[in-house]
Amino acid sequence: MILDYFVILMTSLAFYTILVLALNLAVGFTGLINLGHMVFFGIGAYTSAILTTHGIPWYFAFILAGLLASVLGTLIAAITVRLKGEYFAMVTLGLVFIATAISRNWISLTRGALGIPGVPDIIRDNFYYMIFSWAVAGLCILFLYKLTNSETGKVLQAIRDDETAAAILGKNTYFYKVLSIAISTFFAGIAGSLFAHHINFVDPSVFDLEFFIFVISMLIAGGLASLKGSIVGVFGLSIVSEAMRYIVVSPSLIGAVRDIVYVVILIIILIYKPKGIFGKVDV
Amino acid sequence: MPSLSILPQLIVNGLIAGSIYALAASGFSLAYYVIRFLHFAQGAAIAIAAYALFTLSNQVGLNGILSILLTISIAVAATLLMNYAVYTPLRKRKATGVILLISSLAILTFTASLIRALFGPSTKTLLLSKHNKSFDFGLFTITSIQLAIIISAVLLFLLLWILMRKTRLGKAMRALSDNKEVAQVVGINPEKIYTYTFIIAGIFAGISGILIGLEQNLYPRMSVIIIVKGFISSVVGGINSVPGAIIGGLFIGLVENLGIWFLPSGYKDAISFSILLLFLLLRPRGILGRGMRDDT
Repeated sequence: MILDYFVILMTSLAFYTILVLALNLAVGFTGLINLGHMVFFGIGAYTSAILTTHGIPWYFAFILAGLLASVLGTLIAAITVRLKGEYFAMVTLGLVFIATAISRNWISLTRGALGIPGVPDIIRDNFYYMIFSWAVAGLCILFLYKLTNSETGKVLQAIRDDETAAAILGKNTYFYKVLSIAISTFFAGIAGSLFAHHINFVDPSVFDLEFFIFVISMLIAGGLASLKGSIVGVFGLSIVSEAMRYIVVSPSLIGAVRDIVYVVILIIILIYKPKGIFGKVDV
Repeated sequence: MPSLSILPQLIVNGLIAGSIYALAASGFSLAYYVIRFLHFAQGAAIAIAAYALFTLSNQVGLNGILSILLTISIAVAATLLMNYAVYTPLRKRKATGVILLISSLAILTFTASLIRALFGPSTKTLLLSKHNKSFDFGLFTITSIQLAIIISAVLLFLLLWILMRKTRLGKAMRALSDNKEVAQVVGINPEKIYTYTFIIAGIFAGISGILIGLEQNLYPRMSVIIIVKGFISSVVGGINSVPGAIIGGLFIGLVENLGIWFLPSGYKDAISFSILLLFLLLRPRGILGRGMRDDT
């Protein structure tokens, strides 16, 4: 019983870790405030759900979830990364609303508000699915660790700190920004696929602002431009979230109280500790 | 394609929807113009107003006028509280506009969750809307609340124009908007003007919350749904122009409703969001807007 609970919780922490690390690459390391991160998570989740419920093998759907998210991410980035901070944030926020509208209305594909139930398990045994999810998360951590410590990672951070200077030094900042979003959205899509196979269900609520606020709270609490921070942020806020299950008596209130607590934590951090726990840069 | 005879009704529906968007956009746009950040929490203030009116008139049973006046005061108080508790400390530590935007989105979801916790997830109807009368003009019908919404949007447009162009406060707002440092040098106290801005935004939120609450039902996520349309209207109308928000609202309302001619009504949202993206990418200054401070 307790072990089951632990296994299920740890599995969700794996895809949250991937999702938050991916967001950190764009927001923390490159300075691109992508408020539409959940769109790519949702695309990954829907891709996996739609393909596997139509009999396509999971490994194919899993890879395609990442690739499709990344292709769309790259296309959108190619058009939008030239926009200055606030406008980039606005466009990416607009994407969230478009994704919501499409997922609710393209009923023949997404079943609209009903969502897609019966997304098959990748691995029937929850314990081995947890191991699998963390293996994927481990690869993601390793890849991002290598990337952020590489020459490319240095360029991304240079762009964040002073784009003009990076450009003067001969770096093609446009290419690097698009690259950052391409990688970030790939991992968001992969996280979405893991999520869909974990809860066996996808509906338009993946695009809800509440969900994004939860994810960005984990990022900001852990600290921007710190991989360690993101992992700590995911574990820390998830523990808070789970604790709420036992503190809040009425089950119908849990969701609402949880969302309220995240917001309070997020705003306190934004005001008093803008670097988060391990962050290297101010938000 | 539907027959031509429903065209007048579609246009009227577009005007009504557009006026609702314009109401939502007005305070949002004013805050952006003066303070330079996207005040999404305006949607929270609108929802708070609607639920305040629900509590005062449905549950407490106060009479119409009194509950309306109290509702507007509550919306102003809520907006000032957001400024005092969240925005002012963030501005003090020189947070960027994007951080203010994220905190504003956080207030928005906070309010939706708080309303869900306090009032439950079900939709609510205001008792005051029982007085609503319907007028049939042959080509189209319209209710008294819908008329009030359109008239309010037009009045707000005029009031905003007078405020910005003809008053000392408007002058100070424009000065701050143009150049904060220079405005401070000539003796304008930004924090004081910001407080006035939030008071006005709060009044707009109160009026919008009442009218939108009377026209539609109340539900916890109304804060999010309403301000998203307000946001789109502001951008399309010109986020650097306060009256532009009203024009943008009407434009979006009309296009959405006339779009039903070609597309199923479920795609209303998709239409307006696509327009938003087109404007952000091709004409970020919007219909009325002038060049922006950090235009790209």
